[in-house]
Amino acid sequence: MIVNFLTYLRERPSLLKWLFMAYLAFAVVFDFFADRSHAHFWGDHLVGYWAVFGLVGCLAMIVFCKGLSHVWLERDKDHYDK
Amino acid sequence: MTSSIFMHPATMFIIGALLLPLANKLKLQKVWLVLIPLVAFIQIQYLPESFGKVDWLGFELHFGRVDKLTMVFLHVFTLMALIGSIFGLHVKESGQHVAGWLYVAGSLGTTLAGDYLTVFIFWELMAFASVFLVWYRKKRKSIEAGYRYQLVHSVGGLVLLGGIFLRYQNVGDLTFELISVDHATLADYLIMIGFMLNAAVPPIHAWLPDAYPEATVTGAVFMCAFTTKTAVYVLARGFAGFEVLAIMGAIMTLYGVAYAVIENDARRILAYHIVSQVGYMVCAVGIGTEMAINGASAHAYAHILYKALLFMGIGSVLEMTGRSKLSELGGLYKYMPFTMIFTVIGGIAISGFPLTSGFISKSMIIAAAGNNHQIVILSMLLLAAVGTFLSVGIKLPYFVFFGPNDCGLKPKESPWNMQLAMGMAAFMCIFLGFYPTYLYDMLPYAVHYHPYTTYHLTETFHLLGFTGLGFFIMVKYLKPHDVSNLDLDWFYRRGAGWFMWVANKPVSATNEWISNVYQNIGLRFTMALARALSWFDWEGIDWALDGSARGVVKGGEQVRQFQTGKLQHYIGAAVALLFIVLIVVVLI
Repeated sequence: MIVNFLTYLRERPSLLKWLFMAYLAFAVVFDFFADRSHAHFWGDHLVGYWAVFGLVGCLAMIVFCKGLSHVWLERDKDHYDK
Repeated sequence: MTSSIFMHPATMFIIGALLLPLANKLKLQKVWLVLIPLVAFIQIQYLPESFGKVDWLGFELHFGRVDKLTMVFLHVFTLMALIGSIFGLHVKESGQHVAGWLYVAGSLGTTLAGDYLTVFIFWELMAFASVFLVWYRKKRKSIEAGYRYQLVHSVGGLVLLGGIFLRYQNVGDLTFELISVDHATLADYLIMIGFMLNAAVPPIHAWLPDAYPEATVTGAVFMCAFTTKTAVYVLARGFAGFEVLAIMGAIMTLYGVAYAVIENDARRILAYHIVSQVGYMVCAVGIGTEMAINGASAHAYAHILYKALLFMGIGSVLEMTGRSKLSELGGLYKYMPFTMIFTVIGGIAISGFPLTSGFISKSMIIAAAGNNHQIVILSMLLLAAVGTFLSVGIKLPYFVFFGPNDCGLKPKESPWNMQLAMGMAAFMCIFLGFYPTYLYDMLPYAVHYHPYTTYHLTETFHLLGFTGLGFFIMVKYLKPHDVSNLDLDWFYRRGAGWFMWVANKPVSATNEWISNVYQNIGLRFTMALARALSWFDWEGIDWALDGSARGVVKGGEQVRQFQTGKLQHYIGAAVALLFIVLIVVVLI
């Protein structure tokens, strides 16, 4: 059953995309109503701070790590056997 | 059961392990494999506060010291031993189970130890037993990785032992208690480095992602739980509040996750991710406040369960398909739906989704850093959380079970015992998320932390949601390639190669050259010199003195002529001499 359901979703990427966008919109709206009395630092007071942090952090991490791998770390699987 | 009836849990596992081959003969191995961990799990509740003090060669060994910090680790270690043993029920080879249980015994013994010598004994048992979980895979790569693992741990053990000896010389006391930062000496730092090696703190971490992916399917499930978390326990016991640990821990979280983003082998991704997760705990130990130590313990508890769950999920895939590389997998959700669900539960728990164990444990450490006004560390931990969701929460399940392409394999679901073990771990991940009090009540200090606040929820919604967005923007760029990445094991792997090359080529060649030179030139020269000296001695010195040597030779020659060697001549001469003596005597 779950397999059929997932296959159904997998064949409809645009539906998935809209569901995901709806979730993101919900998260942003929710942020306006959060109680910020226990904030640890200035970032905690900004609406959407962690959204930007998550997106920028994720993109930067992918670019940095993948880039570092390509230019420096990447080796053949049997690198040490040679 | 009363409090007076108990057995040291490590003893229980050691005896259990030694009797396993017998149980196998009697066809009771499966029963035995469930029974021993189950009894151990139940009876740790009945351990007295202190037991097993033994006087040995003037040292007081303390095998059992039980307090709340010990209990939370004992609880999860024995629970994990039960889950891991169930996961491995189908493995007929007793040896693997024996190695696994001796390894568990080492871990439990270390956790209960009240003095450094006892810590060291069980510490080494752990290293010794666990390497067999790698070797039992019986592939050339595993054998080699096992040797490297063993060598690195031997060095770590020696550093630890050196620290213990030095400490004994300095203070004459080996009780294992909290060390104050202000009075820490070289001895304490050596002990800490020994512990840090097992916690896989960079730059001494590379043994972990090197060995764990080469272990057996069931072995990796055991290994991911015990070595690093025992190290977290001993660090929390001895070195809470050392700021260097807070900084190293925060670096670890990012270091591990960076490799998890680029690696291709699913078990290597998980192994690197252990470095990252243990980083949270090491960091919390370094922060050292009550809340942070609570966080470290809670996170160790939660982490053992979801990381084992992930290793079990990927292990099931490896068991059924023989593959663990993301580039060779994809589309498996149709054939292994339960494994997929369990792995995804592990993935969302490790990412800290609300209503999972990660949400209630990881956040405690982050809040502890925030309460301590360590904002840089807080930001590093949250960035690592982003990387966690990216690499293990999305990338791993996506490329294994869904992915842009199906790999074409149609494997069966893994055996029932594997499903059961995964189900148990998955249940715990969700249960702790719904009912954190179960875990919070076990923690060393009273908990004044509430994970389900609107602020924590919104922070999590944003971090996870927008990390997901980042993944789908970059998914093409993230496509895994079948390559390996350099890490700091380069130094000893390449270093060993160079050492062998130097030994084989220059040193060996020089040795051969020198012996050739000696044979051809040296020997002849020595002989010629000897002849020259002998001539000089003969012709020069003797002539110059008094010719006594020639005289001796001449005299010797003449004496030799008397000595004919014929017996009758000697007897005749003797008799003649006798007569002469008699005549002389009589006449006079």
